[in-house]
Amino acid sequence: MVYVTDGSFEGILTAVFEAFRNREDPEEITLGGDFQLSMTAGIREISTDTEKSDRVWRGVESKISKESLENLYMAYLSEHPRVGLYIYRYIKLGLNIGRKVEGYLQHPDVHAIYDLSRRVGSEAHLFLGILRFKKLRNGVFYACYEPDNNITQLITDHFASRLSDQAWIIHDRKRDILALFNGEEVIFTSGFPGIDHEDCEGEYEELWKRYFSAIAIESRKNPRLQRSFMPRRYWRHLPEKQL
Amino acid sequence: MKLMDKLQILADSAKYDVSCSSSGSSRSNRPGGVGNASLPGICHSWADDGRCISLLKVLFTNVCIYDCKYCVNRSSNDVRRASFTPDELCELTIQFYRRNYIEGLFLSSAVIRSPDYTMELMIKALRKLRHEYRFNGYIHIKSIPGADMRLVHEAGSLADRMSINIELPSVSGLKLLAPQKDPASILEPMGYVRERIMESRELVLYKKPQPFVPAGQSTQLIVGATRDSDLKILTLTEHLYRRYQLKRVYYSAYVPVNDDRNLPSVNTSPPLLREHRIYQADWLLRFYGFKAGELLDEGHPNLDTHLDPKCDWALRHLDQFPVEINKAPLEMLLRVPGIGYRMAAKIIRARRVGPLGFEDLKRMRVVLKRARYFITCNGRYYGGIDLDSGLLYQLLSDKTDSKVMAGQISMFG
Repeated sequence: MVYVTDGSFEGILTAVFEAFRNREDPEEITLGGDFQLSMTAGIREISTDTEKSDRVWRGVESKISKESLENLYMAYLSEHPRVGLYIYRYIKLGLNIGRKVEGYLQHPDVHAIYDLSRRVGSEAHLFLGILRFKKLRNGVFYACYEPDNNITQLITDHFASRLSDQAWIIHDRKRDILALFNGEEVIFTSGFPGIDHEDCEGEYEELWKRYFSAIAIESRKNPRLQRSFMPRRYWRHLPEKQL
Repeated sequence: MKLMDKLQILADSAKYDVSCSSSGSSRSNRPGGVGNASLPGICHSWADDGRCISLLKVLFTNVCIYDCKYCVNRSSNDVRRASFTPDELCELTIQFYRRNYIEGLFLSSAVIRSPDYTMELMIKALRKLRHEYRFNGYIHIKSIPGADMRLVHEAGSLADRMSINIELPSVSGLKLLAPQKDPASILEPMGYVRERIMESRELVLYKKPQPFVPAGQSTQLIVGATRDSDLKILTLTEHLYRRYQLKRVYYSAYVPVNDDRNLPSVNTSPPLLREHRIYQADWLLRFYGFKAGELLDEGHPNLDTHLDPKCDWALRHLDQFPVEINKAPLEMLLRVPGIGYRMAAKIIRARRVGPLGFEDLKRMRVVLKRARYFITCNGRYYGGIDLDSGLLYQLLSDKTDSKVMAGQISMFG
């Protein structure tokens, strides 16, 4: 059976609930309606039901652990095409053996969750550093980025406490996700076209570029090492890597 | 002079200072203030040499009264000189910080007029940054050797980390290359700072904490400007970690910038591989329970450039291998070549649930390239060679050096 969800975390948990109730092992749990049709498997449309997903949520929390729930959610943010299935199998195993499942890294599904959640966590940490704000003419600071994982909600608290006296926008252009901070709270929204270059002041960006090139030691040049920390796909939003 | 030119000059002359760590402090923001400090530290970019950029690292001035032979800013060198005003420096820091370019400021300086005078200028700028600009981000200040302890104290209560560079690993080296610097002027403030840090931690217990360099102190040693051996360097390092409780010792492969008969010629390339090996050994001292005397001794005073120091140690202690992956205590797992701290923790976690076979390790993405020769899984050996056969040196030595040139590994700050 292929379970087709709306791609939300609640949707996946609803699918988990349905799988238990139907006593069947789905072959796939999709993130949304865009998936490969299979010749043999039937399709079950899952309509997200927060009552059902809440029950799974609380079950994981009480019968497995809070840490597991957090890891499952972090892994979910990877948007990996198979993450729905990993989540289902992890929960199934965890309800069997309890919180021991967290350490069961030799198990492929447990390792997959561990691996994906770490990948999400490390990308979020990386962007605490390499997210770049531009100052707009109206005084608002605007940051645009295209992360591999859906990490915006993981990084906003950091900027809300650090840059608490400035209004800012963090824009995940890939997913059309917008986090707005007005000095008080973070509001999530979507539907933003982006900013024209002419709307930004560039003085400090120029100073930063100059600093960036002055601080490197010529005789130690090592572009490979640089790329291993700061992969090329992130460069388009880094002023220091624009020529 | 324009700010752009000053920044160029004062960043360019600060770049040989290796440290850029922003870890170890967790200062929180205040209402109306800008910034906080993140405990694990954050890297904001990586320069073209692959080194992490976390802080705005600049000199306050590169005007110097000293004529240290290894230094690009020595008074007899004909280089462009510049100084920041306190406001220029504050504004740069704050504006860079608001755009998330940096984690904070690393302020060092050449010695203008006298150590005390220089230190006073730096303190004035920091005071302004903390109080007028209300900056709560990370500050690393370089203490100027020879400055009055009262000034060291004041700088320490404004900064998160303080460092005093030893630069040359031996007194003879110092006499030869920096004859105007007194060795005591380096170690004395280090001892002083250590005591103030201890004191401020005790105070925390019963009254409002008066933070004093909460992220501790660090230093830097130049590798390859003098003839000092790796043994000498690591022994000094070990002493600094123990006696002065330094958070980090940094190493800087000497980049020849001046012509002098007592120095390597300007055409010599910096000993990057040697520096890398010393960093690896430093890691073994700090996180893996090794002692300098285990890695090197008088008969074996330098690290093998072809082998990482843990492999080198293991090859000289084959009687302790192979170790059983399901039984070995953490301390021993950490001594297995190729198994790092994270992998050891993963192994220990997983084997509590069930015994680990070789395939399990692969599935857990434990890198077995080197480790396979030194372990058994459930009593079976998968190395495929006789441990004593003498083949190991060949199998373990690095074929390419380029991939290992991590000048500074940023993960642990």
